[in-house]
Amino acid sequence: MAPKKGSVGNSNSRDVDVEDRFQAVVLTDSFETRFMPLTADKPRCLLPLANVPLIEYTLEFLANAGVNEVYLTCSSHANQIDEYIENSKWNLPWSPFKISTILAPEARSVGDVMRDLDNRGIITGDFILVSGDVITNIDISKMIEFHRKMHAQDKDHIATMCLSEATEYYKTRTFEPAAFILDKSTNRCIYYQDLPLISSQEKGAVQIDPELLESVDEFTIRNDLIDCRIDICTPHVPPIFQDNFDYQSLRTDFVRGVISSDILGKSIYAYITSDYATRVESWQSYDTISQDYIGRWCYPMVLDNNMQYDQTYSYESRHIYKENNVVLAQSCKIGKCTAIGSGTKIGEGTRIENSIIGRNCQISENIVIKDSFIWDNTIIGDNSKIKHSIVASHAKLGNNVTLNDGCIIGFNVIIDDNMEIPKSTKISFKPVKNLGSSTFNLGGDEEASDEEDSVEYSSFVGVNGVGYLYDSDTSDDDEDESNDIHKVSNCLAYQLEELYLSDASISSITKRKKKKRTMSSNSMYTDREDIESEDDDDEDFEAEGLATVERALENNHDIDTALLELNTLRMSMNVTYHEVRTVTVMALVRRVYHFISTQTLGPKDAVHKVFNHWGDLFKRQAFEESEFVDLMNIIMDVVEDTHFDKPDLILFGAFTSLYDNDILEEDIIYKWWDNVSDDPKYDNVKGLIAKWVEWLRTADEESSEEESSEEE
Amino acid sequence: MSSQSMPSLVHNNNPNAVTEIEVSIDSFIAKLKRRQISGSYIIALETLQLLKRFISAVRWSHVNELIAQIRELGNRLEKANPTAFGCGNVIKRILAVLRDEIEEDMKESQNAGASSSPSANNLNDRNSSAVGDVSQAEPLIASMFNLLQKPEQNSQDFYESKSKTKTDFRQVVIQAIKDLIDEIKNIDDGIQQIAIDLIHDHEILLTPTPESKTVLKFLIRARERANRTFTVLVTEGFPNNTQNAHDFAKKLAQHDIETIIIPDSAVFALMSRVGKVIIGTKTVFINGGSIVSSAGVSSVCECAREFKTPVFAVAGLYKLSPLYPFNVEKFVEFGGSQHILPRMDPRNRLDTINKITDYVPPENIDIYITNIGGFAPSFIYRIAWDNYKQIDVHLDGKQK
Repeated sequence: MAPKKGSVGNSNSRDVDVEDRFQAVVLTDSFETRFMPLTADKPRCLLPLANVPLIEYTLEFLANAGVNEVYLTCSSHANQIDEYIENSKWNLPWSPFKISTILAPEARSVGDVMRDLDNRGIITGDFILVSGDVITNIDISKMIEFHRKMHAQDKDHIATMCLSEATEYYKTRTFEPAAFILDKSTNRCIYYQDLPLISSQEKGAVQIDPELLESVDEFTIRNDLIDCRIDICTPHVPPIFQDNFDYQSLRTDFVRGVISSDILGKSIYAYITSDYATRVESWQSYDTISQDYIGRWCYPMVLDNNMQYDQTYSYESRHIYKENNVVLAQSCKIGKCTAIGSGTKIGEGTRIENSIIGRNCQISENIVIKDSFIWDNTIIGDNSKIKHSIVASHAKLGNNVTLNDGCIIGFNVIIDDNMEIPKSTKISFKPVKNLGSSTFNLGGDEEASDEEDSVEYSSFVGVNGVGYLYDSDTSDDDEDESNDIHKVSNCLAYQLEELYLSDASISSITKRKKKKRTMSSNSMYTDREDIESEDDDDEDFEAEGLATVERALENNHDIDTALLELNTLRMSMNVTYHEVRTVTVMALVRRVYHFISTQTLGPKDAVHKVFNHWGDLFKRQAFEESEFVDLMNIIMDVVEDTHFDKPDLILFGAFTSLYDNDILEEDIIYKWWDNVSDDPKYDNVKGLIAKWVEWLRTADEESSEEESSEEE
Repeated sequence: MSSQSMPSLVHNNNPNAVTEIEVSIDSFIAKLKRRQISGSYIIALETLQLLKRFISAVRWSHVNELIAQIRELGNRLEKANPTAFGCGNVIKRILAVLRDEIEEDMKESQNAGASSSPSANNLNDRNSSAVGDVSQAEPLIASMFNLLQKPEQNSQDFYESKSKTKTDFRQVVIQAIKDLIDEIKNIDDGIQQIAIDLIHDHEILLTPTPESKTVLKFLIRARERANRTFTVLVTEGFPNNTQNAHDFAKKLAQHDIETIIIPDSAVFALMSRVGKVIIGTKTVFINGGSIVSSAGVSSVCECAREFKTPVFAVAGLYKLSPLYPFNVEKFVEFGGSQHILPRMDPRNRLDTINKITDYVPPENIDIYITNIGGFAPSFIYRIAWDNYKQIDVHLDGKQK
């Protein structure tokens, strides 16, 4: 599939020499689900920020940078992006660059996109790799200069990352905190490591291979850098992704992989700027960046530039922006930091502050809107209160509706009169994927479902309302269900006390690294595991292995196939059976958790179903007694980590299933029990096991000959 | 009217030329929006260059269409950056020249018509020639009635007459553009002539607008030509203009002028010793007020007034705008907040308003020094109406 030619009638003046042209690749998809449920209908890059689709900011930046050719890689909602670009001003003959969309619906990660890019052979020279949600006013020419200078000095230099310095006052620096270890004199990136989220209580540690520091005189470790995902890459970059087909993410895999690899011998440099540069990567950053933008922190990129042809914003002091044709009632009050789109009508007695209102909204009387984002074509009834929420396009709120801190109302949702939506509720018009099990019908007047839950949830949208609750925690495996850190920080609501960043916590060293973010070909996870040491192989294996087992579980492969796949993986990555077991257990437990959380099965049934069927996997993964003991430890660890309601029940269920299927022998169980760790954190997990072991022992004594045959 | 549909036909006739000019217009607009071009001097010159290309590319069947198209272009440029008055000013100047030429042309053709068939055009002819006589006899002191009446009647007549004219308006406009470019490029010479008379020996001058090249040349000229020795105080202009202030001081020092950079807060304390305040302007409005290029100048002028220190504003004629600053907020440019405070979370930070430009009201300026002489602010409107037509003050509405 050749890239679609975006512009047709280009003038000759812009047909630059192939050698000289400056290319840019925009990754429109982040392969994340953080903007669910809104991204179910619209790709992230077309969500409006300050009434302008996000992608415009990136394209504007590229236009400023003097790029000649832009390639947009689209995977999810590719047709929407394609259509948008086709009708946008960038496709006109006088657009500053040639724009083409590359449709790659099969891509599942940044790595896939890069490999696709390499296959197409589009890249001819240095290019800018930027994600489609960047908002920045950096002066790219300085960065290019830096890039060229470094390239002249170091011929192994393959990429320059743009990092923006955050001040100490900036608490929510980034959603994906990371430590960069840089060579002090040249800004060469020596090492890169993700850090645990600010909100988490975990301690982060950076482990550096001493070999990496051998040739370095002085280095700095910095965690105050906002990674804005603007990279200038040499044409060598896509082939590296091709060679390392397991690279998924740009930073964790690629940057770490390249700089710690002796074989490649390539280096990556960091360009540090104090200009404004961030990504809209979560609801919180959406909120922050919108406010920054309105507060003119990104000047000269400001709303009253009217980047779009049809915009007519003008500025008034106290950061109020109004388009033409805004109808304001005489007694309404427009407070500071507010933008209002054209065609919007605001009724008597309404107060608006710190908010962005889209076009053609009908905002009735005596409404209070504070710190909120109201997108185009919404209707809001009298006496409503909206506080720190997002109301997406075409939503309809009745009279007397109250939206509390952090609500997200999806496209087309209708909320009935007199409703109060609790804090951090996300409501979408349609149930969002993986459904049936995970979302509940909220429309009280559509089919009377007798489930208790639906009654409970209809309290959100009311009798005449249309909308479904979206709950990222229970919905599916895409979002890390076990990781409550994400649950906490990926919502709009204020959590400043939790988000308090203490620099001290990062410097203290602990040997555990808990959080790890990787991509698999299926989906994106975050796992927490206790692994003492990890190198790249480990991590890759984990992601791959997990994906393999999950695939098998989901598609109900037969056990032999699953085992074969796992074994191949094990050989190719050269890991021990311990890792294989860990991965398998994790996948199984996750499956159990999924069943329970979606209420398909009760905890006991779920455990039995999964472990009875798939327990046989362990027969070929553990052979000696010690290995079985190890397996039991792993199961206990994983169960403990997954935060079930009743961990002891799960563990008990798992062990009895394995025992019933002759996978675990009594001797092994006794041996394990005698050596089991006394760590108090396992205490509530072990509750039932103690009794069970006790029971086994007495049963053993009573009928030593019969063993447990009657239980089978 | 048939002229409404004409432009599209024109476009079809020569798509290439139109596309090409559209490309350059659009990239110019984009640059204006992104604030990639700044400085009224550069903006004015670039606008003229663009207009020149535009005039060579467009086709029209009647001169009215040409005017409409130029107005359209001017409107687009004004909208792109409402605080870059240079674009509008020069386009309005060109329009005024064009309209004068049309008037001239019409008079000639009517005179010719009158001699050949006096009965048909009698009334018209008398009317316009009477008006024409008035304007020739008293070109400056026309009555209010004539000011409002004359252009409208004339244009009305002309717009209705569909007769072909002999004058090559393309040539007229291009010549006007060339003249204006020359004028803008040589503006400093005109201003510098006056400099020598204004600056005395051993005087202390204060300038709060260090980025103005006109001020710089003005001072250097006074030093070199007249060989005056004087001291210049330069305000620091924190935060937007500090770099400029330093460069400015350095350049002056290189020319052997004693230069002192003072903090903005010290202006009041030092004002009693200052002999003259010299400011550069970005735009001069019709009421004699002006937009100056750094925040704080307004308070410096206020301060000067308190001490009865004369304030001299230097401005090229092209900076004169026929607009009236009814709403100053719309004309002042607001910059970013990032240089004033460190970046903080939006929820617990101060909101900052960072004016990049400032408005100085006419009562705080004593004299404007332009390339055609010095004028009191109250006289500025007369100069404006010498150069602009009332009808072209606002380019966005339909004409007539």
